[in-house]
Amino acid sequence: MRRSLGELVMLVPIAAFVALFALLPVGLLFAASLSAVGGIAGLGSLLTQPLNQHSVANSLLQGGLSAALAVAFGYPAGVLLGRYRWPGRELVRSLLLVPFLLPSLIVVLGIEDLFGAGGLLGTPFPDLSFFGHGTPGVVAANLIFNVPLVVLLTAAGCETASAELEETVVTLGGSPARAYRDAWGPATWIGAAAGGLLTFLFSALSFAPPLLLCGERCYTVEARIWSLDQVLLAPSDAGALALIMVVLFLAPTLGYLYLVRRLATPSGRQARRARPLDRSATTIALVLETGAVLTAVAVLLGAVLFRTLVPVGGAGPGSAWSALFGPGTARRLGIGIPAAVGNTLLFAIAAAGITVVLAVPAAFAVLRRPGRGSGLGLFLFVPLLLSPVVLALSLATFWRPLLGGEGSVWVLVIVSQTVLALPFALQSLGIPLAGLSPAGREAAESLGAGRFSAFLDADLPRVRDGLVTASLFAFALGLGEFTATYFLVTPRFTTVPVALYGLVGARQLPLADAAAGLLLLLSLAVFLALSLGGRRVEL
Amino acid sequence: MSSSEPILRVEGLSAAWGTTPVLEQVSFEVGRDELFVLLGPNGSGKSTLLRCLAGLEPLSAGRVLLDGADLARVPAHRRGIGLMFQDAALFPHRSVYENIAYAPLLQRRPRSEVDEEVRRQVDLLGLAGFEDRAPDRLSGGERQRVALARTLAARPRLVLLDEPFASIDPELKAELRADFRRALRAAGTSAIHVTHDRPEGLFLGDRVGLLFDGRLDRSAPPGDLFNDPGTDRAARFLGYDVFPGPSGLEAVDPRDLRLGPVGGAGSALRVVAAGTTGGERLVVLRTTTGERVESRSPDEGPLPLPGDVVVGTWTRSVRILPTGAVAPAKDAKNRRVFERA
Repeated sequence: MRRSLGELVMLVPIAAFVALFALLPVGLLFAASLSAVGGIAGLGSLLTQPLNQHSVANSLLQGGLSAALAVAFGYPAGVLLGRYRWPGRELVRSLLLVPFLLPSLIVVLGIEDLFGAGGLLGTPFPDLSFFGHGTPGVVAANLIFNVPLVVLLTAAGCETASAELEETVVTLGGSPARAYRDAWGPATWIGAAAGGLLTFLFSALSFAPPLLLCGERCYTVEARIWSLDQVLLAPSDAGALALIMVVLFLAPTLGYLYLVRRLATPSGRQARRARPLDRSATTIALVLETGAVLTAVAVLLGAVLFRTLVPVGGAGPGSAWSALFGPGTARRLGIGIPAAVGNTLLFAIAAAGITVVLAVPAAFAVLRRPGRGSGLGLFLFVPLLLSPVVLALSLATFWRPLLGGEGSVWVLVIVSQTVLALPFALQSLGIPLAGLSPAGREAAESLGAGRFSAFLDADLPRVRDGLVTASLFAFALGLGEFTATYFLVTPRFTTVPVALYGLVGARQLPLADAAAGLLLLLSLAVFLALSLGGRRVEL
Repeated sequence: MSSSEPILRVEGLSAAWGTTPVLEQVSFEVGRDELFVLLGPNGSGKSTLLRCLAGLEPLSAGRVLLDGADLARVPAHRRGIGLMFQDAALFPHRSVYENIAYAPLLQRRPRSEVDEEVRRQVDLLGLAGFEDRAPDRLSGGERQRVALARTLAARPRLVLLDEPFASIDPELKAELRADFRRALRAAGTSAIHVTHDRPEGLFLGDRVGLLFDGRLDRSAPPGDLFNDPGTDRAARFLGYDVFPGPSGLEAVDPRDLRLGPVGGAGSALRVVAAGTTGGERLVVLRTTTGERVESRSPDEGPLPLPGDVVVGTWTRSVRILPTGAVAPAKDAKNRRVFERA
């Protein structure tokens, strides 16, 4: 089907934005770095350096281990969430988003608070301190973020399975196990595989957990790129390694995109009538496993909240908070916490606004058509291929000099947060659009409404929830964004996550806990806004 | 088990969605090799009843006996009851052959027997040449044929058909109905077919049951049911006009309702719309109490105009009772008679 001129016009803003602030700077960074290291041969020699090799191995190990464990822990809970009806189901669905919306640093801090020196669990049970550092600590942090993603995507898979097909298998004599294998199981496997690939990508490219919980020996490629550019001052090597990273992770990224589109069936995700819980052994096992997953997430976040109120060292609950807002912290960070909160909110609001303005017309122009997997549709998801460090490195290399140095930092932070939020905003809009019939718009047009009026009157109201979700989701991602922001900001533009990193790095844990409490409050406010409207975020 | 015993006996079946009752005290029987049709408007509980029989929905009361055995503790996959859905629910990634062979393979029948079973069903349902096709390359009617072939290949003791022709083009429906009936007869299987399509139900059924608001109104052979609808609700559903007569309600076949000028004896009616439907004249009218009635007659003379007042007369009618004034009761031959409540 040919696209109309109007649809192409709707695509111009996002295409220009992605081209200017993602493809162009990243392409130029790669070209310059490739040339500086001596072409393909230079890439090869870069990979022979032990620390680079080690970072690739770490990425694969941490990513692979985290993905396998996240699927193992998340799949049963996803089946329970997607297949069965139980009290509090929708609340749990919303709560599972909380870890994803949180800055990675809060989870790192939670691991420290639980298993680190003087940890709430590590002190009474010394064996558990195994999870407080090194690769186990990094994987534990990755799991807290990613198990909920696997749960949500598996549940989404459940909802695409045909209830009629399952019942047909049963009435043809197939056992429940056979119905799982032949009818409803494959859809959950697609969801879990998508979750596993996303976990692999997020974990292999994680930044804060290896930096704070382990150090150089656990650096992922992402952390190594940061180190090459910011510590060793070898930007060409950093750029070349970024190119290697993008190539290495191209296949899992495309795999995730392919799988997640299969979850968006032509009729959209259906609200399949969930079945009531029964008392079979399988169901009881699913309930227990889900309870364990939720408890693990709740205990970690609870530890951060507890330490926010009862700081390490036994000082009173108010002392850390007053110190956080005091002049000492401002001197240490180069900016007061109120100003950092202001920066955080400003960047997140601006990024969310731009994201929605770009994503809405693009989603309507591309994603509502059948064959969303077209080249054009895929182009919109290009930012998913870029890790925060690669994006920040390219923006800093290409755009900062052009925009006038430090004064442009705030622009680049907003741009980076927008680029990183775009794929998720498009996803949140794309799922409801995939099930949107053109009948309403066509009816409006046949009644004399112009194209734009028909769009405003018929289409837009029907994806209003998706629109609000996309805005809030983009805002939440901006609120918690750390990696790219850390790469780009100067003290004047420091955000709360960056301040939190500084405090954790300086082992100022009481202050870090108080800052984490502040971020938690901000994130929970977004979570409440998302869940109060019964909105669902699509991953 | 005597061959005269019914294959299925449903006793006082009730079901609910949460606290909302969907089926209330439904009782009926299905004989061996019988094609029983459940006819009722949308939302009357027909599909829920099939799902209860198949073991896919719990009963809140009552019993289902298949071949005399209570199915209360028998899971759906061990009941030997095949259920065919409106949208066919074919395996999208399996060919026509693989769809039909699914159940025989589950039953671990020898390969040669599976091939033979598939060939038999393919021949029976006119699917020769389609064996290697994927379901997405079949028309709606072909998909339904494959779905029935797949159901019959499992050799169920009872087949349940949930509005299988609802999304089929009208031109194809008649042929498909006849083919389904022939296939079910050839398979020697008892079946329950639910539909809201009156001609379809009356055409297919050896016996037809009317289901309204979760209650089985009555069941009888199609001719008996049509000739004696029993209640005004059943009569209206079967296409009758209902008029108050001197000794109670009368059901009049629209083909027997004659329209004449005001002044004669009969019921005064106001014309709502009038037109022709391929050689037949259809006039939609309202009685003085606002009831909607129809008159069907040969297309002769000028059409009445909307707003015209005419007088309706008839020479034949069936005496019926108001719904609620009768309570269904079952006679020894599983026929329903009506008694004053």
